Amino acid sequence: MKALGKGSIASIVQIGLSFAWVVLWALFIAWALAAASYLVFILLTTIGVVDPATIPAIESSEQVRIQVEGIDPGALRALQWTDWQIFAPALLVGGVTIGGSLVIVSRLRRLFDSFTTGEPFRRENATHLRVIWITMVAIELSRYVLLATLGVLLGIFGAPDSVGSASYSINAENFSTWMSILILIVLAEVFREGARLKEEQELTI
Amino acid sequence: MAIRVTLDRILLDRRMSLTDLSEKVGVTLANLSILKTGKAKAIRFSTLNALCRVLECQPGEILSYEPSADDVLEEAADQAAE
Repeated sequence: MKALGKGSIASIVQIGLSFAWVVLWALFIAWALAAASYLVFILLTTIGVVDPATIPAIESSEQVRIQVEGIDPGALRALQWTDWQIFAPALLVGGVTIGGSLVIVSRLRRLFDSFTTGEPFRRENATHLRVIWITMVAIELSRYVLLATLGVLLGIFGAPDSVGSASYSINAENFSTWMSILILIVLAEVFREGARLKEEQELTI
Repeated sequence: MAIRVTLDRILLDRRMSLTDLSEKVGVTLANLSILKTGKAKAIRFSTLNALCRVLECQPGEILSYEPSADDVLEEAADQAAE
C-alpha cells in the first residue's frame, strides 16, 4: 500500500482525522457547557441562592481525592462541587487541551489533504507543522502553569483537607510529548527546505 | 536577483514573438514567460543552448549582471571579513 496519494495510508489517516475533528468539537461543546454551568453554580452558591450543604459530595471519591504529600489519603475528606480551587484549574486545563487539540487536528487535516493529493512539499505544510509544534508547546506550558496555579490555590484556599503543600509528579508521557515537539520542529524545517527545493526545481527553465 | 534576462530586447531586435520562440526552442510559453520576467531561479544549459541557437546570439547577450543592493552589502561584508 502506498503512503501518499489517493487510496493510500494518508487517506486512511485523513478519515481518522475527520472523525477526531467531529469528536473534538463535541468535546469542546461539552466542555463549554460544563464550564458555563459550573460558573453559574459557583455564582449561585456565592450569593446564597443555592445552599452548598444540600449538594452531595462527589461519589467514588477515592479516585478524585487529592493526593497530598505526607497525608494519609484516607484522612482527606471527599471532594465537594464547591471546591472551585480544584475545578477551575481543571476546567482550564481541559479547555486548553481541547482547544489546542482542535488547532492541531485542523492543521493535520490540511496537511493530510495535500498528502492525499500527492504533493507533500508545499510551503503551507511547513507552516502547518510549525503551528502544530507551537500549539503543543503552548498546551504543555499552560498545563504546567495551571498545575502551579492549582498548587497556589490549594495553598491559599485549602485542599479538601485544608493542607497546603500538594505535590504533582511529571509523568513519563511528558518526556514523549517534548520529544515529539523536537521531532516536529525538525520535520517543519525539513518540509520548508523540501518546499524551497521544489519551488527552485519548478522555476528552473 | 542580480542576473537580468534581456530576452525581450533580443526578441524585439529579431522581430520575433515569444510564441514563435517557444515553438522553435521547445520550451512552453509559460516557462519562457517566467524566464523573461526574471522570476526563474535557474536556467539549464540545454535551454540556454537552444535559445542561443534559435536567436543566433551568445549567452552574454541573453543574460546580464546588475548588482543589487543585497550584492553590494554582501561584497562589503566579504571585504570586511578579509
